[in-house]
Amino acid sequence: MKQLFRQMTLMVITCGFITAAQATTPEEDLAAFQKFYKKRFPNVETSDFVNGAYSIDPVGRENWEAIEEFPPYEPFIDEGQAMWEKPFANGKTYKDCFPDGPAIAGKYPQWDKEKGMVMTLPLALNNCREANGEKPMKYKKGSINSILSYISFESRGQITNVEIPSDDPAALQAYEDGKKFYYSRRGQLNFSCAHCHLQNAGMILRTETLGPALGHTTHFPVYRSKWGTVGTLHRRFTGCNKQVRAKPFKAQGEEYRNLEYFLTYMSNGLPLNGPGARK
Amino acid sequence: MIGNTKKWIGMAGAISVLAGQFLVTPASFAGGDKAIEEGKKISFDRKKGNCLACHNIIGAPSPGNIAPALVAMKSRFPNKEDLHKQIWDATEKNPESAMPPFGKHGILSEADFEKVVEYIWTL
Amino acid sequence: MQKKLLLIFSLLIGILCSGIATTSLAEDTSAAKVQKLIEAADAARKQAAGVGGEWRDTGKMIKKAKTLMEKGDLVKAAKLANKAAKQGHLGYEQAMSQKTLTMPSYLHYE
Repeated sequence: MKQLFRQMTLMVITCGFITAAQATTPEEDLAAFQKFYKKRFPNVETSDFVNGAYSIDPVGRENWEAIEEFPPYEPFIDEGQAMWEKPFANGKTYKDCFPDGPAIAGKYPQWDKEKGMVMTLPLALNNCREANGEKPMKYKKGSINSILSYISFESRGQITNVEIPSDDPAALQAYEDGKKFYYSRRGQLNFSCAHCHLQNAGMILRTETLGPALGHTTHFPVYRSKWGTVGTLHRRFTGCNKQVRAKPFKAQGEEYRNLEYFLTYMSNGLPLNGPGARK
Repeated sequence: MIGNTKKWIGMAGAISVLAGQFLVTPASFAGGDKAIEEGKKISFDRKKGNCLACHNIIGAPSPGNIAPALVAMKSRFPNKEDLHKQIWDATEKNPESAMPPFGKHGILSEADFEKVVEYIWTL
Repeated sequence: MQKKLLLIFSLLIGILCSGIATTSLAEDTSAAKVQKLIEAADAARKQAAGVGGEWRDTGKMIKKAKTLMEKGDLVKAAKLANKAAKQGHLGYEQAMSQKTLTMPSYLHYE
């Protein structure tokens, strides 16, 4: 009897804990998120959101389609292929780290249970390099964009399918942290990511159409005309944070990794189409 | 006669103190049309008010459409103080507002802020 | 004649007085005081950073305030340090206000 009582109390406590810590499940978040865009843009096919603002801005789309005829990211793909194939000083190659490569973009970001953290593709690539005695690449600019361009190109058509393993509460916590980051106001201008890319997606900011967050992760790395080169997702995060006048976080630091985990999960079901080209 | 002179000197002193203030401090209380004209410049400046990023103002170049057009401000805000509050921190009235708190977060200096309120209220 | 002189004299004094009044800030900003203001600003910045709420330009402002102080421009240095401190406090306050996640009302859960 006493034991039964104790079990009952424990159940009540656990139940209370779960509802308090996690008001909605990732599945519910995903459904609400994607439903929001379907309602706002009823004429856009869900899979077309991978084209960002061009899925909802016909004039921008025309210019973009013209750019895509001679993709500015092409040289980066070629350079990345050479990087992929060139052996490290110890004779091994990336293929030794990633036997399924090069088409592995669809596997990331993933929860690394052993390390207890979100593993992203750039981080995994550098782990491979360091394990083989090579210098790590920088996470925002430079050669990392070439190899990412190649891997993304080879992975085109894979379906975004981020998993949040239910057997590890730390994975759910990482997702929740990313979600909180997304919806939190920051910087002197007091914007959250959601203010522009959810609440006001499709509206015009001066002359630019604000792109929907759905599909934001599918086309990275991205050639931005503004940059004049290809850049990583975390470089873009940095730029966004600076625009709202917040101090950006470290590329591949915990904040941005968790943000990537959440944001990519929100695009589950959408095909990968990187590398992309954007204004 | 002596009393009169004293009065004169006192008044001259007071006036000159005022005049001195105008000479020494920047014209923060320029007031009237000049403040409105400057407020317009600040409102249009992308690095300052940047109102046009989100709001339409009749006759202004390439405005955004995120927020309501800035028209009929005096009927929307009969009390200038309410407009002041709205630009100071719009989340007070609407917690989900995307409008940056231009006053509260010091995005505009206090002098610039007052001029922007003056200008917007004329719209 | 005497009257005229007095008048001119009082005018001059008036202008002088108001000049002193508005620049008095400069008179009581010693280097040590400005140094303290800069330290306070940096403490405020760190407090904001500790909760992920640091703003973009706060660190730059503090750096600039230090350079101004070294150059002897104490008034400007003090002003900038105070501005940076305010940003630190506001950034911290903002992060605290976001401590509990509130989902936007326009997202509809079933």
